[in-house]
Amino acid sequence: MSKSHLKIVVLAAFGISIASASFAGSANLTTSKSSKSERYVPTIWVDPDGCEHWVMDDGAEGYMTPHVTRDGIPVCRRGNTCAVMNSDQLFAVDKWHVSAANRTRLKAFFNDSGASVYLIDGHTDSDASDAYNMRLSKNRAMAIASIAQSVGAKAQARWYGERVPVASNSTRAGKSKNRRVEIQCIR
Amino acid sequence: MTLMKATSVALLAISVAGCDVPKQNKTVDNFIDSKHLSQLKAGIWVDPNGCDHWIIDDGVEGYLSARMDQNGKPVCSGVAQPNTATGGYKSGSPVGDVI
Repeated sequence: MSKSHLKIVVLAAFGISIASASFAGSANLTTSKSSKSERYVPTIWVDPDGCEHWVMDDGAEGYMTPHVTRDGIPVCRRGNTCAVMNSDQLFAVDKWHVSAANRTRLKAFFNDSGASVYLIDGHTDSDASDAYNMRLSKNRAMAIASIAQSVGAKAQARWYGERVPVASNSTRAGKSKNRRVEIQCIR
Repeated sequence: MTLMKATSVALLAISVAGCDVPKQNKTVDNFIDSKHLSQLKAGIWVDPNGCDHWIIDDGVEGYLSARMDQNGKPVCSGVAQPNTATGGYKSGSPVGDVI
């Protein structure tokens, strides 16, 4: 085995030991190439939605990329959420049918809000399985999106089940808060 | 005329940028349209899938970055047809594109 070959094997073993020491998905490895790196310190540009991007001007070149957390969530100073509707007031338990009265109310909302597109996000509490909650939140979000579309609004349904709670699922009040449909108004 | 303009812009660029070469501070634009990069003006570029990206034509620099909602999913607003750019993405700099 040549000397350089040996070095690679040693480096690989070192890499594995670092990776296993940190938790999955966000190992922060510093490679042996770091001595060749150049300093590139970005600043922050905030887009019109209020979310941050890393930006650098390197003379005649410009670089930009979204600022996200290690979990892939954008860092935003504000969101586009324009309505949070409690699921208990829209749907019966485990159902996604919307009553005529609520349908009228929602149509009025979509007629008056004037967004270029509505993002309809369905969420649940943590009762029942993850898969069940993904399905329930999908059906509920799609039901609301189809009401938006029925008045000619552009709408896209997204669903998160129990994965994005806004309150604790260990209390009744928290669970109720987590059962919700959030609407983002994109201008 | 165009050549003269381009030459004078280039000369001015050299004289202005001369303060920080090779450029260490990446957070500012040192060209004649000098500013901190937080001041950039964006428009929307719609990708072939119909999803939005922030596009900025800032004189000689160009920037492009994904438009995402607060949960990290792409925003596909339908503000324009795929493969088009819209909005004031060229409004942040008086420097035109020489080439």
